[in-house]
Order: sequence, then structure tokens, then C-alpha cells
Amino acid sequence: MASEDPCFIGSKTTVRGQVSGKQDLVVQGRIEGHVSLDSQLTVEEAATVEADVEVAVATVRGEVRGPIVAARSMVLEATAKVAGKLRAPSIVIEDGARFSGEIEMDVELPADVTAETP
Amino acid sequence: MANTVIGSSIVIDGEISGDEPLTILGTVKGKVSMAENVTIESGATVEADVEGQTVIISGKLTGNVNAREKLELRPESKMVGNAKAPRIVVADGASFKGNVDMDV
Repeated sequence: MASEDPCFIGSKTTVRGQVSGKQDLVVQGRIEGHVSLDSQLTVEEAATVEADVEVAVATVRGEVRGPIVAARSMVLEATAKVAGKLRAPSIVIEDGARFSGEIEMDVELPADVTAETP
Repeated sequence: MANTVIGSSIVIDGEISGDEPLTILGTVKGKVSMAENVTIESGATVEADVEGQTVIISGKLTGNVNAREKLELRPESKMVGNAKAPRIVVADGASFKGNVDMDV
């Protein structure tokens, strides 16, 4: 089952510190610190993430404060509330999403955030 | 369903706290403090002090456990640290090193 099992941070859970890994993570609760994944991060509607986020794909429906770097793509859905700097080759902001900060698309990613998983 | 699952390829260095059941399949270092049950599955590695209602260990734990209700060491589990709980079950095959305090 290697990395097939799900990873959830439930709505009544807070994680403080560094979260890293290779599998998809769904957040319904709260993360403070640093998130670094070679996979997809989903921030659900009631979730709060106050962290430096470095992932392959980011889907945001909740609240994120902090820079988000996605190696592949990023979607801020209609319920998203985001403040920080966004960087990804492809960024979608849906109607209704709230965002303040800087956006950088179509740039060469730093060596430590490659589009391919090794 | 409120539930937190830390997947097998996830590493958390820091603190997990909350008021719902927590299942760990991956690696957690730091501190775990839950108002509900904590399950450390086989294959998981935890280097942390763990606080929970019932704490069930099938994987590896280095750290102290404070279970308000019960601590269960399943077969194949490995624990190094002190255990404090009113009820403690150690299964055949479990390995454990540390002090036990059942509050007697």
C-alpha cells in the first residue's frame, strides 16, 4: 500500500512544524509551519494553513497565509481566501476566490522544486 | 467523519494536537497530544511523547505515553519510554523498555 493510503488532517486537529512527504494530503483542520510535498495538497473549505507551502499541485478551498510554490499547478477555488506570494507554471483563480499578494507564472523553478518526481 | 490520518510516506516534525481520533502510518517526531484515541499502525515510526485517551501501538514508538484510559502494545510493536495509564495491555510478541505507572 506504499503511498496509496490517504492522509488527512481532520477538522479538529492542529499540526505545528514541518510536514513533508510524497503522498497527497487533504487538510480540513489547521497546519502552521512548513509543508513540503512531491504531491497534491488540498486545503478544504474550513481549513487554515499558515505555512510556507511547496508542493506539486495545490488546490485551495480554504484559507492560506504564506507563500505557495507549486511545481505543476495551482487552483484557488471560489471559496479560497489566500494571502501571500504564489508561484507556479499554471495558476487558476476562480470567480469568488479572495487573494492578495504577488503572482509569478511561467518562470524557471528553483532546482529544489522540479516538475518531475525523481 | 472527523478523523486525522498521517499517511505512510508523510513525515511530520513538530506537534500534532486536537480533539479527534488520530492514526499514524508515517513518521512523527515531536509531540502528539490528542483528546481522543491515538493509533500507531504497523510500519509507523514515532519519536514523540504521546498523550491520548486510548493509545494503541502496532509500530515503533520512542517516547513517553500518557493514556487517560488505556495503553495497548500489540504484537510486533516496539516501545522505548515510560508508560502512564490506568490500564495497560502488552500482547505476546510486543517489545517494551521503560517504566510503567498504572497509578496504583
